[in-house]
Amino acid sequence: MRPNKTIAHNPKPATCQNREIRSFRYRAFVPQTASPTSNLYRIEARPDGVALVLAGDWGAATHLPTTPRVVDELLGATGADASGQAVVDGRELVSAHPRVAALVYGVNQQLRKRDVALRYEGLPESVQALVTLARPAAATDTTVRRAHWLTRLGERGRMRLGSVSNTAELIGNAFAATPKLAVGRAQARWVDFMALIRETGASSLPVVTIVNLLIGAVLGFVGAVQLATFGAGLYLADLVGIAVAREMAAIMTAFIMAGRIGATFAAHLATMEANEEIDALRMIGVSPFEFLVLPRLTALTLMMPLLFLYAAALGIGGGMIVAELVLNTSPASFLGRLQDAVAVRHFVIGFIKAVCFGVLIALASCYLGMRAGRNAAEVGRAATRTVVVSIIGIIVIDAIFALCTNALGV
Amino acid sequence: MAELDASQPLPERGIAVRDLTLAYGDTVVQQDLSFHVQPASIFVIMGVSGCGKSTLLRHMIDLEQAEQGDIVFDGHRLWTEDGVERAALQRRIGVLFQSTALWSSMSVGENVGLPLQLHTRLSAAEIRDQVAFKLALVGLAGQESRMPSELSGGMQKRAGLARAIALDPDYLFLDEPSAGLDPITSQRLDSLIMNLRDALQLSVIAVTHELPSIFTIADDSIYLDNESRRAIAHGDPRTLAEHAEQARVRAFLNRQPIAADDGPS
Repeated sequence: MRPNKTIAHNPKPATCQNREIRSFRYRAFVPQTASPTSNLYRIEARPDGVALVLAGDWGAATHLPTTPRVVDELLGATGADASGQAVVDGRELVSAHPRVAALVYGVNQQLRKRDVALRYEGLPESVQALVTLARPAAATDTTVRRAHWLTRLGERGRMRLGSVSNTAELIGNAFAATPKLAVGRAQARWVDFMALIRETGASSLPVVTIVNLLIGAVLGFVGAVQLATFGAGLYLADLVGIAVAREMAAIMTAFIMAGRIGATFAAHLATMEANEEIDALRMIGVSPFEFLVLPRLTALTLMMPLLFLYAAALGIGGGMIVAELVLNTSPASFLGRLQDAVAVRHFVIGFIKAVCFGVLIALASCYLGMRAGRNAAEVGRAATRTVVVSIIGIIVIDAIFALCTNALGV
Repeated sequence: MAELDASQPLPERGIAVRDLTLAYGDTVVQQDLSFHVQPASIFVIMGVSGCGKSTLLRHMIDLEQAEQGDIVFDGHRLWTEDGVERAALQRRIGVLFQSTALWSSMSVGENVGLPLQLHTRLSAAEIRDQVAFKLALVGLAGQESRMPSELSGGMQKRAGLARAIALDPDYLFLDEPSAGLDPITSQRLDSLIMNLRDALQLSVIAVTHELPSIFTIADDSIYLDNESRRAIAHGDPRTLAEHAEQARVRAFLNRQPIAADDGPS
């Protein structure tokens, strides 16, 4: 197999005149140790101008001379600027590899800027053809000028305000469109809605089960060890029950839904945006909000509290198992104590939180998914941002609930 | 005519496809394909939508492996057991995908430079030179820092082409190169492909059903039939348009409707 590509090339023998030409290397440009590219080119001073002599097998070379270096050598040491012309001599090339053309093209472009004409001697025709084929950049100035920092700051602030207004619009749309869904007049398909109910609800049960059962067990274990120290093991049901019902079941379920459902929603909508599917919906007069956002928002808002109740039962179950194993408290005793200690209001608070978390995750995922850019990287970014925003939002909402319930004495 | 007889010895130069049968499970896409692509020529695989053109291309670039048949590049089998030889052969193949498949998270320069970064020991400065030249070859000089999403469809195709020739391949595969482009951009792309074929001495294999492109660039061609699931015509498409034995091929190349009883011959 040919290891490297070469183009048909018949190197011409060096002429007598060339052999008589004074050939030397400039000390300033000859490294003390042999450069890996030193056998591929050299600079010669000739009566008709400075010459860049190319030699060797460029296809097999592991390193290549770079344009800036070669141009510096041509201009710096020989004064090609003054003479106004330079020669590229390709007669010593073993093969006419396209890499040669890359250097000749680069050198040609740089020398042109300095009004130095480049002439070819013995350069393989295929290399010359490639250099001719390459078209330099247009002379028009395409550089983007960096705006003043105050302008950039203002622009960034304007964008943030835009995000706030978009979020407000999304929430407003949600309030306005929900009644339409309730009376069956929303532009949404029931089949999609039922699929979303299944995806957010039943399909989430296994992971919700594992996480909440273990969280309940861990709470139970930590509590049991500490309470047993004071002989207060009986109160484990209080600890586990209140912690799970009021905080952990809702929060852990919300985290799971943010990672599992929020990321899925965002990636799906971002892909639809990239494929212009959302534009296609608009073009047939369908509101993307009603068709895409509303079913997701409703499905998640309905399923989150149900999942919370399920998660709370499992968390308490986990604590009860630990109580039996570590403290020898029977399930009947545990449940009896739970009934006395954990008021319904704790479950109500957890339930309301779960609804809020569901709304947050649905709106964040739909908003970020539909505002993603039109490429593959943006799809991943939208999913990641959804998870991050949702988790932060969940913690913030939980903190607000803690402050409010504390202030109200609930 | 580029047909290849299975009993003949394999040609030393060019690409030889021999007795190839393409199938997904029990569904045969194409069968008994045998043809030869001459070095430094443009070979067009044509046919109606769904006939298996892109499937054949995916097999030729080693993204799929056929159960039956062989593909030989310059005397070297593509589906060899020797992983090193297979990888070396793959590096001599450049591909322009139908969707261009530019990596959207990378700039145009990074897209073109990545194959060089992965498969050569060139330094960053050396790669910059090669990337600048490849982009200049396709008329995108100075566009290194732009993102693919900032380019027009035609520019994306050319950027994809620059990436395909980044490693100076011997074989260039093009999947529907002019699909979705306006006639002028499409014509420019055709000229570019022919110029690259001449300058780099590339063997170009293009999958297309764009008739203007076929007549402009093809040195040789094969017509894949979606009913008989065989290649029913080989040769210069300009000749086939007038003199193909099969009515279906003439109808395709002259953009005429195919009558229901038009058989392959």
